[in-house]
Amino acid sequence: MKILVAIKQVPERDAQVHVASDGKWIDESDLNYTINEPDAYALEEALQLKEKNGGEVVVVCAGPERVTSTLREALAKGADRAIHIEADDMGSRDTLGVAQILADAMKSESPDLILTGLQSDDLGLGQTGVVMAELLGIPHATIIMHVEATGSGLKVKRELEDGWFQHVEMPLPALLTIQSGGNKLRYATLMGIKKAKTKETKTVQAAAATAPAIALDRVYLPEKQKKTEMLTGTPDQVAAKIVEKLKFEVRVI
Amino acid sequence: MVDVTLAAVTCAHPSGTMLFPAMWVSATLAEPAHFSWLETGLLAAGIVISLALFFWRFGPILRNILHSKQDADFSLHPVGRRVWDFFWEVLCQGKVIRQRPLPGLAHAFVFWGFLAFALVSSNHIANGLQIGFLSPESSLGKFYFLFAAAWALLVAVGITGLFIRRFFVRPIWFGKKVSIESGWIAFLIFLLMVSYLGAFFVSPGGAAVKALWWTHTLTLLVFLPLIPHTKHLHLVISPVTVFLKRDGFSNIPPLSGDEDFGLVAGKDVTQLISLQVYSCVECGRCTEHCPAANSGKVLNPKEIALGVRSYLNELGSVSDVALLAEARPETAFANLLSMEAAFECTTCGACEYQCPVGIQHVPVIVGLRRGATNTGVWEDTYGTKLFLALEKNGNALGLSAMERDKFIQKEAFPIFDGTQEYCLWLGCMGGYDPKGREIIADFARVMKYLGTTFGVLKKEKCTGDPARRLGNDLVFQTLAEAGLKAFETAKVQKIVAICPHCVRTIANDWREYGIAPEIEHHSEFMARHKDRLPKQASGESIVYHDPCYLGRYRDVYEAPREMVRQAGTLVEAPRSHERSFCCGAGGGLAFLGEEQGERVSHIRAAELAGTGAQVVGTACPFCNTMFRDALAEVSTAPPQLLDIAQLTARALPKMQETGIMDQGTGEQ
Repeated sequence: MKILVAIKQVPERDAQVHVASDGKWIDESDLNYTINEPDAYALEEALQLKEKNGGEVVVVCAGPERVTSTLREALAKGADRAIHIEADDMGSRDTLGVAQILADAMKSESPDLILTGLQSDDLGLGQTGVVMAELLGIPHATIIMHVEATGSGLKVKRELEDGWFQHVEMPLPALLTIQSGGNKLRYATLMGIKKAKTKETKTVQAAAATAPAIALDRVYLPEKQKKTEMLTGTPDQVAAKIVEKLKFEVRVI
Repeated sequence: MVDVTLAAVTCAHPSGTMLFPAMWVSATLAEPAHFSWLETGLLAAGIVISLALFFWRFGPILRNILHSKQDADFSLHPVGRRVWDFFWEVLCQGKVIRQRPLPGLAHAFVFWGFLAFALVSSNHIANGLQIGFLSPESSLGKFYFLFAAAWALLVAVGITGLFIRRFFVRPIWFGKKVSIESGWIAFLIFLLMVSYLGAFFVSPGGAAVKALWWTHTLTLLVFLPLIPHTKHLHLVISPVTVFLKRDGFSNIPPLSGDEDFGLVAGKDVTQLISLQVYSCVECGRCTEHCPAANSGKVLNPKEIALGVRSYLNELGSVSDVALLAEARPETAFANLLSMEAAFECTTCGACEYQCPVGIQHVPVIVGLRRGATNTGVWEDTYGTKLFLALEKNGNALGLSAMERDKFIQKEAFPIFDGTQEYCLWLGCMGGYDPKGREIIADFARVMKYLGTTFGVLKKEKCTGDPARRLGNDLVFQTLAEAGLKAFETAKVQKIVAICPHCVRTIANDWREYGIAPEIEHHSEFMARHKDRLPKQASGESIVYHDPCYLGRYRDVYEAPREMVRQAGTLVEAPRSHERSFCCGAGGGLAFLGEEQGERVSHIRAAELAGTGAQVVGTACPFCNTMFRDALAEVSTAPPQLLDIAQLTARALPKMQETGIMDQGTGEQ
């Protein structure tokens, strides 16, 4: 089974993020980058599928030169090949634009299965995978916890709300967006890093960005809106006031 | 001929010799007067057979040692220290006696006796070959044979004592199986001595002289081929091992080349390791002091040495077969060298410290872990979590680096900018752990009180100690390089840290990637300034626990004790100094899951509480954290638990806090 894993490089989890001077994106200087967490689980799922069923795992990542470090890490963890889609203007591409360049690079690989994280840690739009499936014309399933190959197709476990799960059977080729926490991640090893040096990383140029349908207007840190109102009176009066507020201001009861 | 009488009971006989009731006693060794050519021929044949058998058995061992991989870091430097070790540990039997006085002395008698016998035995065999060079009649001969006789007595007494110990006292660390071979060896040694001493009790020229001579000779000839087969091989190679062992304590060698991931298979076993494992005399001193072996775990350091030896014997030193039992097909030494055992080691180094024949267990155990971790064979939920935390967060506790920033702000620690004298290294415990933070804060108060300027690094990552000891060279290298760069960028000259693990790792282990600034432990810093620190008159009894990484690893025993004496009355634990018993946290084990068997920390905590001291004094935040719960578990009225920094700081006058104590972080 040939599995492609689309991964994204995002700022480290505890990075001190500052808004860039133009207010359109974050200041990228002085940031450390790492693999997007759900993508790490997608990679893990791919590696486990390969270990069980054989085949090949190819990681694909779009972005500037710096993303090659994340690709190398994926190779060190056990991916067989990497494709780097070179693009310095990721910030000016919307979801469709990003999905388009990923899909373009994947098409010629004719994979059996494409995995990616269900969303990114930075933007959290959760659409890239789904749009990619549409562009490639293959079925998809989202928020996947577990994947099992059944020979001709797949059995997947989707996470629903409130502790419910849905088990779905689907044909191949397909695209799945993977939820974090379904597997245990592996640690990178010295042997993996040394082997990664000999593995192939293909660099392709991203097609020029078209005018995005969605543009980021302003990026800002959450503004503090600490409005505390002290309710006074007898317990009965306070309770009545709370009920009124919950009913008419917050509208939850 | 005038013989000195050995027994003064009866009157002198006219001939000058003594006639004890029906017994000949003489101060001169009786040697056969004449050997026929037939006898000489038989002896020569005996020697050839004995030597051939010896080399038939010793040859493969020597080949295994010589054909093992060369040690990339092999060096004879420093020769002076090696000569001293050889003199003290081999010739003086210093370690053997010091760590186990009675059996040690018995052993020393046997050893020194053997040395004394070198000349006697050479002459004995030479006589049979009709080229004897030392006549019992000559004045040198008279003296020397009597001198050797005195030693023969001591050897006989010593070996009898050791025999009784092995077969009747049977200390548990000898293992359950009684070594019959040892009995035979002891018997042969005893026979050698008796057949030598006997020659003082027979009249010269008699048949008994010849009989004794042949008994002695045959014993020697039988003894020789037994040496390589049994643990008595240490007789031949352990002096070499002691001289050649890797410099320093528990030093982990660098990996060499792109194909070296640690001890994966036999071909990764180096010459020093081979030499060391073949030197093992199975005395069990390592087992006796091992915290894992003493708390019901699989690991027994002796079996690590014997496991590698069995592997080499069975599969050779160029084999590709995996060393660890879990990854290896069925072998005769099935239960030895398991991954489970390798990952139970706290790297406390007690085994290595105790070993009288120069075996360096910790680098072997860490080598096995490297082989498993660097290749991804080791799968452990907690271990993986730790490595991922170190990869992602740069600290072993897996917390956000922001937590450290907040703590620095709260304590108003200045950031190191090159103007201060010291860089205060927080470490994972000092930066993130609540108790570790208390220790750091108190030590910072001590520094402020002394007027020593210090600053902390703006960003600090783990030294990589747990990754290093758990065999993850990738994470360790990344962290070591990042740390070295941080010190270089900040232009740090001197570092002080509260954690012996950080001190050890920065000072020694980082050397593989560069030279770090000079670092010391806070006990050393405080002891140097102790005259300027207040002495407490409470007289409170404080039992001090030696951390492995400060004592055995760094040889610092007195400095923390001086600080304890400053704060109260020092009480020594039953096991202290270089015999201190581990808290169970080292070697990355603080971050792994629940232990098998009894908790190491409970054993030690019970021992410390058992001294009745009011306070347990520690000098390592890991020991401190291990004892925090353990003391409460093992004692209904647990003693107080304080680091030496806290013991010192509590006597300082309260300072006006002018810092930005409660300003908070302003980001919530």
